[in-house]
Amino acid sequence: MATSDPRSDTENIIVCRDVHKWYGQFHALRGITTSVNRGEVVVIFGPSGSGKSTFIRTINRLEEHQRGDIIVDGIELTNDIRNIDAIRRDVGMVFQSFNLFPHLSVMSNITLAPIKVRKVPAAEAEETALELLRRVGIEEQADKYPAQLSGGQQQRVAIARALAMQPNVMLFDEPTSALDPEMIKEVLDVMQGLAQSGMTMLVVSHEMGFAREVADRMMMFDEGLLVEEGPPDQIFYDPQSDRTKLFLSQIL
Amino acid sequence: MATDTNTASAPILPPPRSEVGVLGWVRANLFDSRFSGALTLLSATFLLIGGWFGIRWVFLEANWGVIAEIGGLFVLGPYNNDQACPGNNCFWRPQVGLLLVSMLLGMTWVVAGGGSAKRIAILVAAVAAAFAFLPYGFDRMGMDVRLLLLANVPALALGWAMARFFPFFGAVKGVGIFAVAAFLLTLLLVRGWEDGGPGLMPDLLFSWIPGLEPVVDLKDWGGLMLNILLAVVGISLSLPIGIALALGRRSDLQVVKGICVVFIEVFRGVPLITLLFMSQVLVPLAFPRDFPLDPLPRAAIGITLFSSAYMAENIRGGLQALHPGQAEAARALGLPGWQTTLLISLPQAIRNVIPAIVGQFISLFKDTSLIYIVGMLDIVEESRAYIQGNPELLASAQELFIFLAVVFWVFCYGMSYVSRRYERYLGVGER
Repeated sequence: MATSDPRSDTENIIVCRDVHKWYGQFHALRGITTSVNRGEVVVIFGPSGSGKSTFIRTINRLEEHQRGDIIVDGIELTNDIRNIDAIRRDVGMVFQSFNLFPHLSVMSNITLAPIKVRKVPAAEAEETALELLRRVGIEEQADKYPAQLSGGQQQRVAIARALAMQPNVMLFDEPTSALDPEMIKEVLDVMQGLAQSGMTMLVVSHEMGFAREVADRMMMFDEGLLVEEGPPDQIFYDPQSDRTKLFLSQIL
Repeated sequence: MATDTNTASAPILPPPRSEVGVLGWVRANLFDSRFSGALTLLSATFLLIGGWFGIRWVFLEANWGVIAEIGGLFVLGPYNNDQACPGNNCFWRPQVGLLLVSMLLGMTWVVAGGGSAKRIAILVAAVAAAFAFLPYGFDRMGMDVRLLLLANVPALALGWAMARFFPFFGAVKGVGIFAVAAFLLTLLLVRGWEDGGPGLMPDLLFSWIPGLEPVVDLKDWGGLMLNILLAVVGISLSLPIGIALALGRRSDLQVVKGICVVFIEVFRGVPLITLLFMSQVLVPLAFPRDFPLDPLPRAAIGITLFSSAYMAENIRGGLQALHPGQAEAARALGLPGWQTTLLISLPQAIRNVIPAIVGQFISLFKDTSLIYIVGMLDIVEESRAYIQGNPELLASAQELFIFLAVVFWVFCYGMSYVSRRYERYLGVGER
């Protein structure tokens, strides 16, 4: 178990050293070195194709990195399938397109992994699921199917589903990009509550309001490189890199 | 508080009369333009003329006597004749199989909670019981046959009560186990048992049951019973084999993938008739010289493998249509690969291709008639052979084959109906 590992007491819950990733000939990540502290909220932004999604997807091995080291909660990501499964149990992920399981009810979506992977008894898993649904504000939808919910509600179910595995790290891959404007806020509110509860979060997002208010640190990606990182105040008011300045001037 | 003037000044009105009711429907669907009006009149004319002659032929000109004359041979073929079953008292064995089916339908009724399962169960038992009242003389259709047909009604009630009062039979798993047991028991019954008889099983197991002698040779199985047995075997084996082949074809293991691709392409690329011929010539080569493998199991293997190849491609289509995010989300939750496939990918893939799968079932059922290739008398071949042996009936060939078409249509439409209801059931509240 990850929590019994002595190394998990260290400050850094995620450590990346010189991470490279290629898609065929295309060099998608060109040596990323950074680390994330326990309880830290990191917002990652940058132009499309800059490698920001690829980067957070390497952290739970949805994408394989070909060079460098990634250590999550004391476990090094290698080809060892046991390590990969251990990390995936410890790292929750929320996707741009929700990816709820359409053939299962909201309740089953949330309890599936705890029951099958963590071997939690069904009754206990359902209790936890109801509690999580209450936390994301849609307790009354437990028996519905994903297609009966609005986009914002679906994304909140997806967050509850990830939290049901009791992860130590949450990855968000553009969680609000597929939502109608009036639904973005309800999802961001849930994420903000999660951040305040001390969850370690890596969020790929262009919601700059959210970043300014919630992020401890921001990372700017461009062309597979981590161009600049720092607290929101520095990124917004005193960016060091010309590319950060240019990008911010385009989106703000 | 300001009132919403927009809503107040624009009340919600009912649609104009011309848009609703019978008149509205006729206008919208039959006469919405001059061209469509002309088409409506033209097709109405054809329908009336065709319908007139059709009805006249069915009720006045056709001689349906041939159906009554062939009678029980439609159902059993040569199964109960003097040569296959000396004493002609083997008819009760397949009839017990039908009783087991009625029990199964009763259980399904409870498990499905009524609805179309209830309607189908009642219909099947009622039709079976109605056959008990066919106006044959007792020399052709004995009292025992009629009683066993009538027994389908209490059998249905028994199955219903079992599911209602024993939770084991009231769950999908219990019904499944009962179905498999019932099918194996039916096969054993239909074949029969005698000590020292042919076969690989030891003696003594069943010899105390009266009436299991004589063993009816597999080559004498026939009629609709043969079509149904072949279809049940083919359907229940080709679905799992097809799933395995589809998963194998998408495997990362190149050897597994290669074997599945070759298997699928070979069996899809050969006509079923050729396959059935080959099964008689080639399958024996794979077994020891003295291995007792009759033409029937050989043909069943051929039909099953042929159907599996098509099934595999249907299911592969369903798997490929899935959004890759589904498997990603499952993996991100820590579900191992096999559970991702079993719990996330396959259920969605199969649900999406139910129409294609049922199409394959229907096609398989109709293809069981090709069993005549190996010299067996299914319902079609039995009928054909019968009128060939009785030339005075040749004039009634039209009536006979129309009847056969209706029989096949009833079964195929039944499958199609059940699958549509099942799709609707699965589709509740889903995309």
